[in-house]
Amino acid sequence: MANSSSGMAVNDDCKLKFMELKAKRSYRFIVFKIEEKIQQVTVEKLGEPNESYEHFTDSLPANECRYAVYDFDFTTEENVQKSKIFFIAWAPDTSRIRSKMLYASSKDRFRRELDGVQVELQATDPSEMSMDIIKSRVF
Amino acid sequence: MYGGDEVSAIVIDLGSHTCKAGYAGEDAPKAVFPSVVGSIDQMDVDDSGNAERNSGSGVDSKNNVDSNKGKGKRKLYVGTQSLGYRRDHMEVLSPFKDGIVADWDIVDSIWDHALRECLLVDPKEHPMLLAEPSSNTQQQRERAAELMFEKYKVPALFLAKNAVLTSFALGRATSLVVDCGGGSTTVAPVHDGYVLQKAVVTSPIGGEFLTNCLMKSLESKGITIRPRYSFKRKENRPGEFQIVDLDFPNTTESYKLFSQRVIVSDIKECVSRAPDTPYDESAYSNIPMTPYELPDGQTIEIGADRFKIPDVLFNPSLVQTIPGMENYVDIASSCRGLPQMVIESINRCDVDIRRELFSSILLAGGTASMQQLKERLEKDLLEESPQAARVKVVASGNATERRFSVWIGGSILASLGSFQQMWFSKSEYEEHGASYIQRKCP
Repeated sequence: MANSSSGMAVNDDCKLKFMELKAKRSYRFIVFKIEEKIQQVTVEKLGEPNESYEHFTDSLPANECRYAVYDFDFTTEENVQKSKIFFIAWAPDTSRIRSKMLYASSKDRFRRELDGVQVELQATDPSEMSMDIIKSRVF
Repeated sequence: MYGGDEVSAIVIDLGSHTCKAGYAGEDAPKAVFPSVVGSIDQMDVDDSGNAERNSGSGVDSKNNVDSNKGKGKRKLYVGTQSLGYRRDHMEVLSPFKDGIVADWDIVDSIWDHALRECLLVDPKEHPMLLAEPSSNTQQQRERAAELMFEKYKVPALFLAKNAVLTSFALGRATSLVVDCGGGSTTVAPVHDGYVLQKAVVTSPIGGEFLTNCLMKSLESKGITIRPRYSFKRKENRPGEFQIVDLDFPNTTESYKLFSQRVIVSDIKECVSRAPDTPYDESAYSNIPMTPYELPDGQTIEIGADRFKIPDVLFNPSLVQTIPGMENYVDIASSCRGLPQMVIESINRCDVDIRRELFSSILLAGGTASMQQLKERLEKDLLEESPQAARVKVVASGNATERRFSVWIGGSILASLGSFQQMWFSKSEYEEHGASYIQRKCP
């Protein structure tokens, strides 16, 4: 720990659900939310394996911050099926400054709890996490 | 662990130009005042008292009013009000030299003023969060901790880096923070909440440097800026004013300069605007003039300087063309412009994070409120950055948030319930000593 982080705790459920996404592939995506009252990061929403990327982006509120992981399937040039797990810190410009501060200062610690994330993104508007960007970060 | 949830923490951001202080959890600092102080050597005060009595002028009989800030040999005057009042032999001093604290007595007097006179709090009861420059040295941090715990007896302390607070306040844990402050401009990459020290790039060209440029340029055009204390404005008939010059031979040069700069800095904030393309003397020769009314009633007109002065940020060598700035040419020629500083800083970082830094360049600080500064920086960077990079410059749309982003970041951080466990507490200080600050707040 020990940088200017907020000291926010992580609910065990977050790690559990993330492990299920990673190992069993039971979910396509997970959206996490900070509950300030209990000072924990909690799971807000789980996406079924067959849900689309649009489904995922629609699950992120337009003016509130969230964390999310997305399991992205793709095919390489050699025609091999692969997948990569993306971590996205969603902080829209229109969100309240308090919420930006809360999510940014808690990110590092939370991210460390999720072992197996391959790509990390910060997004402040939908264009920063468009499908093109996701694809460009895969290789 | 410090469990003081009930009392709010105090947040102080002592910048090179202004000191910002207030309660954690609020959205703007309660107290904002200059980070310079007036200082009178005690010997001098006695002398001037005699001199005045002898000459019988007695203009300033209030001169010797005691302030309770006697500091041995000299008396320090802090705050907007005490500095606004002219005193014989009062020198204006800054606690900083080259961006770091050189005079701790002055810092002490500023903290004291902020806490006891502006916020009216007892520091023993409130945890204290201090914002510090990104390149603060280990000794400086220990000194600050020592002073806070020993003299102010604060129950808990935290030191947070300026760049990190700005970055968090804009919602990013990784970013490149471009802080255009009063005394300097700092470009600092932040990665996952840590400042990458080796890649921090600074230059002494900040808001005050621009103020100097504008002042010299105005002087070269024959405009005299009368400091506010040096004249009286009488209303002879309604709407008709007469200016009477007052003469105070014992005013120090530094105080005169300080008072003039207050005026010039306001002119700068009112009229200047970063040009869309590099400044070019011939293209701007026909620019319409903008009027500005000085406190003494004279109206001056400012033309090309509106664009030329801000362009110094982008092209420091412009200083050569400003009459009267000869002494600064050396400084300026050793500096690079803002876009070059950004590129240099990013190039000093690991290849893997460069792309991310290019796409989140955060503009903050007092000078960042300059009109069109963000647009110009983004445009210049688009031209100079590698093809593949997606350049994005972000600045808070709200002027207060832009100017106080560091303070606001600190305010929110210190007010988070979960942050309580992060403080460097008094008992930890007593057990481990001041050097423990490096472990608690790296």
